Amino acid sequence: MTPLLSLRHVSKTFGSGPRAVRAVRDVSFDVSRGECLAVVGESGSGKTTLANMILGVFGQSSGEIRFDGRALPSRRTLEHRSAIQLVQQNPLSSLNPKRSVGASIRLGLDVFGIGRRSDRWRLVENALEEVGLPGDFRRRAPAALSGGQCQRVAIARALACQPRLVILDEPTSALDVLVQARVLRLLDGLRRTKGLSYVFITHDLSVVRNVADRVAVFRSGELVECAETGAIFENPRADYTRRLIGAVPVITDHELKLRESLSGGLPA
Amino acid sequence: MSAVLEIRDLHLRFRGHSGVSEVLHGVSLDIRAGERVALVGESGSGKSVTARIVLGLLQELPYAEVSGGLFLEGADLNRLSRRQWQGLRGTSISMIFQDPTSSLNPVFTIGAQFAEVLRRRDPGLPRGAADERAGALLRSVSIHDHARVLDAYPFQLSGGMNQRVVIAMALANHPSLLIADEPGTALDVTVQAQTLKLMHDLVERSGTAVLFISHNLGVVREFADRVFVIYRGRIVERGPTAAIFEAPGHAYTRALMAAVPRITGGGPPEPNDGETAFLDPMVVHEGGGA
Amino acid sequence: MRRTTVILLRNPLSMLGVVLVAAVVISAALADYIAPFPEHRGAVVDFVHFNQGPTARNVMGTDLVGRDLFSRILYAFRISLLLGVVVLAIATPIGTFVGLLAGYLGGRAEFALMRLTDVFLSIPPLVLAIAMMGVLEPTLLNAMLAVTAMWWPWYARLVYNITRSEREEGYVLAAEVIGASTLHVTFREILPNCLPAIITKMTLDMGFVIIIASSLSFLGLGVQPPTPDLGSMVAEGARYLPDSWWLTVFPGLAILVAVFGFNLIGDALREILGADQ
Repeated sequence: MTPLLSLRHVSKTFGSGPRAVRAVRDVSFDVSRGECLAVVGESGSGKTTLANMILGVFGQSSGEIRFDGRALPSRRTLEHRSAIQLVQQNPLSSLNPKRSVGASIRLGLDVFGIGRRSDRWRLVENALEEVGLPGDFRRRAPAALSGGQCQRVAIARALACQPRLVILDEPTSALDVLVQARVLRLLDGLRRTKGLSYVFITHDLSVVRNVADRVAVFRSGELVECAETGAIFENPRADYTRRLIGAVPVITDHELKLRESLSGGLPA
Repeated sequence: MSAVLEIRDLHLRFRGHSGVSEVLHGVSLDIRAGERVALVGESGSGKSVTARIVLGLLQELPYAEVSGGLFLEGADLNRLSRRQWQGLRGTSISMIFQDPTSSLNPVFTIGAQFAEVLRRRDPGLPRGAADERAGALLRSVSIHDHARVLDAYPFQLSGGMNQRVVIAMALANHPSLLIADEPGTALDVTVQAQTLKLMHDLVERSGTAVLFISHNLGVVREFADRVFVIYRGRIVERGPTAAIFEAPGHAYTRALMAAVPRITGGGPPEPNDGETAFLDPMVVHEGGGA
Repeated sequence: MRRTTVILLRNPLSMLGVVLVAAVVISAALADYIAPFPEHRGAVVDFVHFNQGPTARNVMGTDLVGRDLFSRILYAFRISLLLGVVVLAIATPIGTFVGLLAGYLGGRAEFALMRLTDVFLSIPPLVLAIAMMGVLEPTLLNAMLAVTAMWWPWYARLVYNITRSEREEGYVLAAEVIGASTLHVTFREILPNCLPAIITKMTLDMGFVIIIASSLSFLGLGVQPPTPDLGSMVAEGARYLPDSWWLTVFPGLAILVAVFGFNLIGDALREILGADQ
């Protein structure tokens, strides 16, 4: 079966001449249907540039991005836009403070013509209920919601567009740990029930360990290592991956032992 | 041993348009000489305002009401004038903030800012002597090309480099207490791990007492000798780090730990609900020199 | 909105602003009923009572042809308010539209629109208006046009700056990724976030427009006699200072009251709406 998303030799250069910045360099990987691929890297690794290219915010400089077996055009069709959705890091800034939560969710339904016009508020309420919020939250302003609730709304907005692939850009790193745990469980459950694929961008390897099927490690725009999650945490190949694992703060002795054995005495 | 910092029954209330909101409901905390104490909690728990009160910053706000005992090395801070309190900052008490780059002034060189810091303790220190002392301090945070760093502006250095500079500055005047508010949270994980280790070694060597404020349990476990867990303005559990992490006693602490994803795997963490128990009385672990 | 109203009424200074502006608006609206001599708004001559100081009959005195100053000031408020409202009603949408498009689109559109704005901003406002009035007939309508021409660029600048920073917010990216049109993103997503600043500026500007319009008529370039206007009344009376002081002092005070009132409300709104963001 063809993978849902497939990148082949994708590069992105900003600017030109001696001041050009090569943000992404010759990157190739696949995301299968129903799979969660974690994209891991620190600042400047190119992970956000990568997300923006998949979303069509800007095109790639070279290489090819294929979705469902066909090359994605630089000007996306409505179908592509609705099929690839985004959940951003900062839940407060990703919702317009001056519009109701419902209006933000409904925008996608209107643009993509999902459902009948008279039905759409009901669809908005369904989307809210799917992420564990009461339907009448649609009348609320984002300021009246907690950070975790805002992030649920952002997830509802993405789901309402009936996507097949969701780009999760650090979806829990702005949240408190208790809220993070609930949002992670919600995302995991939605992926299974709806057969979604995720590109899960994060710098937090302990999150990756528990939600991802495969991991792609990026550094300075290059793909350092890409393997099954189990393999990455049992036998990391790249020194950089070992260093990342060595820097993860842990809370149990069990984890500490694992971390020490994996980072292999490398300085953190 | 005497306490470097003692906070007794600290209350904080904010008066706003919509009435009075109580932020701290009687927080008590003590730090002994050379001890690293962590105050752990989620956003809005009151951990950062506690630090600001120790620095005397919140008391200046017209809409904040602060009450409770504050003692630095036995001296009653509440008896100090605003000026005397200000004089403590940067000398007896110093602070490290979340984002090192934004806590340095972008229009002055590192050298100029370092001289400013040193002159807090040593007014009239000539620039040449200041640069010499700054160079030695930078070497202690493993910055070896200190001449270049002193001539640079903060934006010309990496976040990790700025963090080292900030740590060196904070320890420059041999403070008796260092307050670190979520240090390095704005940095990359590998850099954060390095600078935390560096800070740990430095304060251990100099015997500086540290109030370490964080939301990250893993970081706290690696850095602190003792832990205070704060929830909605109340300390819910306190004790030596090892005791708390081995056997968390309070429902809230247990929920926090259950919510942290493990690198050993096991799927998305399952937070045990039961928030009503979060308001249970404080759990105290003895030991750790108490 | 409700909270805004409550805070506005609780602060004594902003309360004073509300009272002053309400007084000006009510006296302008009900001038026909309040004015002791409604007919004095036009070309009336009363040689019995000309150039008199304040008396029981004429509380603010009479002008050189015997018209009641108090009545004329009430009618002059009408002209001032009308001018302010019309100028802002035209200048604000133009400036907002230019600022939104320039700020959101960037590139060539930004360059063209903002350089045009800079051209207008580089000419001292009163000079621009005087130049325009020199070419055009000095009528109320042309005075409005002249003031509008110098006013919209300030709104373009304001909205442009806000749009530039809002463009970086996540909600704009979210709407773009969904594929919302430029019109939707600018007017439905970004514009509501500019409104607090725009409304605050409009309130402050009501006072300034009244001053500029008065300055124009002070120079004889605005509203023409016999229509009562605060600026021309001050100008006319200035020639007879200090003997006939009431001719300048009362119209001058009237300008002060209106401008001061709008400024107080504007300052209060800036604080309230600014804190909301």
